[in-house]
Amino acid sequence: MVKLILQRSTEALRRHKARGAESALILPLVEGNAPDDPALAAAAKAARFTGKAGEALCLPGRHGFTILAGIGAGAAISDWEAGGGAGMAAAADRAQAILLADSATPEQAAGFAAGALLNAWRFNVLRDASKNKDAPPARVTLAVASPTKVEPAWVRAEAMLRGVLFARDLVVEPGNRLNPASFAERLSALKEFGLKVEVLEGKRLMALGMGALCAVGGGAVHGPRLVVLRWPGKVKAAQVAFVGKGICFDTGGISIKPAAGMEDMRADMAGAAAAAGAILALALRQSPAPAVAVLALAENAIGAASYRPGDILRSYSGKTIEVLDTDAEGRLILADALAYTAARFKPRAMIDLATLTGSIITALGHHRAGVFGNDEALSAALMAAGEAVAEPLWPMPIDDEHREVLKSDIADLRQCAPAGSGAWGGRFLSDACHAAAFLREFAGSGAWAHLDIAGVETREAAAPLGPKGPSGFGVRLLDHLVAMRFEGDA
Amino acid sequence: MPDITFVKPALPRGGALVLLLAEGAALAGLAKAAEEATGGAVSRGLEAAKFKGAKGQSCTLWAPGAGLQKIVAIGLGKADALDTQGAENAGGTALTAVQQERDALIAADGLTPALAASCAMGLRLRSYRFDRYRTTEKEDDKPKLERVGIASAEAAKAKAAFAPMQAVADGVFLTRDLVSEPPNVLTPAEMAERCKALEKLGVEVEIMGPREMKRLGFGALLGVAQGSAQEPRVVTMKWMGAPKGKKQKPVAFIGKGVTFDTGGISIKPAGGMEDMKWDMAGAGTVIGLMAALAGRKAKADVIGMVGLVENMPSATAQRPGDVVKSYSGQTVEVINTDAEGRLVLADVMWYCQEKYDPRFMVDLATLTGAIIIALGHERAGLFSNDDTLATHVKEAGSAVGEKAWRMPLGDAYDKQIKSDIADMKNVGGRPGGSITAAQFIQRFVNGKPWAHLDIAGTAWSSKDAPTVPKGATAYGVRMLDRMVADHYEG
Repeated sequence: MVKLILQRSTEALRRHKARGAESALILPLVEGNAPDDPALAAAAKAARFTGKAGEALCLPGRHGFTILAGIGAGAAISDWEAGGGAGMAAAADRAQAILLADSATPEQAAGFAAGALLNAWRFNVLRDASKNKDAPPARVTLAVASPTKVEPAWVRAEAMLRGVLFARDLVVEPGNRLNPASFAERLSALKEFGLKVEVLEGKRLMALGMGALCAVGGGAVHGPRLVVLRWPGKVKAAQVAFVGKGICFDTGGISIKPAAGMEDMRADMAGAAAAAGAILALALRQSPAPAVAVLALAENAIGAASYRPGDILRSYSGKTIEVLDTDAEGRLILADALAYTAARFKPRAMIDLATLTGSIITALGHHRAGVFGNDEALSAALMAAGEAVAEPLWPMPIDDEHREVLKSDIADLRQCAPAGSGAWGGRFLSDACHAAAFLREFAGSGAWAHLDIAGVETREAAAPLGPKGPSGFGVRLLDHLVAMRFEGDA
Repeated sequence: MPDITFVKPALPRGGALVLLLAEGAALAGLAKAAEEATGGAVSRGLEAAKFKGAKGQSCTLWAPGAGLQKIVAIGLGKADALDTQGAENAGGTALTAVQQERDALIAADGLTPALAASCAMGLRLRSYRFDRYRTTEKEDDKPKLERVGIASAEAAKAKAAFAPMQAVADGVFLTRDLVSEPPNVLTPAEMAERCKALEKLGVEVEIMGPREMKRLGFGALLGVAQGSAQEPRVVTMKWMGAPKGKKQKPVAFIGKGVTFDTGGISIKPAGGMEDMKWDMAGAGTVIGLMAALAGRKAKADVIGMVGLVENMPSATAQRPGDVVKSYSGQTVEVINTDAEGRLVLADVMWYCQEKYDPRFMVDLATLTGAIIIALGHERAGLFSNDDTLATHVKEAGSAVGEKAWRMPLGDAYDKQIKSDIADMKNVGGRPGGSITAAQFIQRFVNGKPWAHLDIAGTAWSSKDAPTVPKGATAYGVRMLDRMVADHYEG
């Protein structure tokens, strides 16, 4: 991650002049306003640039290389983030970027910089970055009137930022590098930030009775793991729990997926990555709220030891599950993780994140994730947090009919509706709702919400807050939720 | 269909007697009279059957004495929690229990007159049968029920409360008939003819044919119709029931009426295609709704409009890639000829606004398979640009057991229907498929409050419900009748 330099604006502008064309100066512009500088104002007018949030205009030759970054109405932090991101995208081939925010509030300034650094994330571990012209500036400065006043806001924003980028770094990793073992190792390294880390594996998982997680991960060379990350917080209260689906690679198992697009299944652990990123953010900003993240890690591989359609699994909760489709594996590993989390921690709220169903993409597309749950207040708080940080959700129902289809002839329940059993020749099954109804059976009686983030975990195209690729969706949402709802009694 | 009469409570001399019993309540009224007349057979039977009066529980006592063929006890649940829907469901359950007898008496003497009427309504709704194409059905398989008495201490009051309900039930039956009719019988012209039946209720009916549509420029609707040998129709039904001196702008309901949908050149898979006879359910619902409103002489001015076409592949059919000009002047690139319903609605809705300037519009359409993948079959998708209208629709639906679920709209989804060469294209891809369909329709809303109900999952049911036999449900008739009654009369 690029380290941000927080500097007084007079000093930063001097550095900008000194670097000539290698430095980009990014100026925020409120929609409908004209820049103070008459030359910039004339240029903006000529280019018909109005300052819409998330749009930017390059003006080479004006005070060196200047970029106008639209911040919309300029009030909401999310507008400043979008502006910072768009400005940074326009500065992509410069060595240095200076974000000028000397008339902004500390939170707005921090948002401007956070947006820029969210945009500047790249994954260049596995290629020669020097051959690639898409290299964001290595030196990024936030130029403000008083760095000491902005510092506390930046510390909070930076914690969120590092959480998001940690999640993206995990999601982008291919399946041959990130397996349940190496994923668990990377999570163990989070000890350095004050998180307590436990890794449960092998016989220990079997002894605990995690029959669902062990079955899903049983076909792979690297067996399944359950990783528990705990942030003690500062107050005595029950934890907020994040539960994540971490399928390092999903072949579909015996119910194998078609070849086309299967490579995208390296991102099938985005729920676990988001849960880990969120608890990292809480640790980095020393959140007073105690939290726990429980990550179910497995590779859904094809092998002689793979589980089969028709198998019946005994889950951690004691309930037996009939498997119909080995490619509906996410709900199985979450069943164990949810029941374990509810029983061990009795959390004040439990939120799971999972790239769970294609059905949610058909329902809500790539612009919103679905939220299901048993607690209206928790769902409403998640909705509000999502709107605030531009990770929007939409509430979805769990109806009687969705539970009804999970009745099994020989087990306590089955994991999904049989393929081809839907309307219009079997083509239409509301699988996202079925999956949520399934998870509800394992979530216990406490407040619980389930975020189906399939479709939003990866950006199809570059946007102000990030390039094409993993979005880190969920980290900001959970960080904001905790800040808004669970730190009040601290 | 049995005759329903309201009578003073008195034990019948034969046939079936239905007792409606609340949980834990002592036998009273007619139930007590039956107990005495049968020498205690009622309480003995109920005890032996472990009948407690729980909601939905039922128990049959054959030849209990006193000349009765049978006594059926139906549980109402807790007496103080009995609501309209509970009474309707009990009536529906009663119908199935007695339909092999010629005469039945429902002992509703323990209910208020309003709930006794609701019980009769439930019985009426469940008694629907579409058997006009059965020629060899055995007598034994046909329902025998000819007369049902509803016993109520205030029979006159109950009868008066039932009269408007009966009109709504007639509307529901009309809709169910239309939706059940096979597509070789119910062509657009035939369906338009059947609208004329509403004239005797005082509805003004205007039928428009293809020449007039061509003159007006209904390019979107005509493009869909051009592949079929059957001519399209647009039918306008006007019910002007608002009292003089209280006239306001009318409210408008618009229905998609694709009498059969092969998909056109973008032809559907064969499995389940027979279901596409009910792709006119939106229009069928509007027609039944108009019958209901006129039948009960609703004090409101209401416009009902339906666009009726058949979508066929043929030498003259519209092709993927065609660009059509809609009545609004906006052009549409037809990417998929199976996304035809929105093209039909586009022209009808724009015309409705130009001609009648309604206060709001609600459209109903079996529009997308995506809404089934999103929600299943218990709820229709509700999309709206107006929160008040959406709330009115949703609440009215909840009150009559026709549930809806609000779905999102937004610019991000609207972008998915951008066309390279026309004002828009008619599909936006699989992600968010029902949302992009709603965005398309919204482009033909000219600044009016508007709500769209995607009823693809709710128009037809594969299993019996207490007041809705399997088959055509007429979902929407009761909901929208109720909405008009609650908010737009007087």
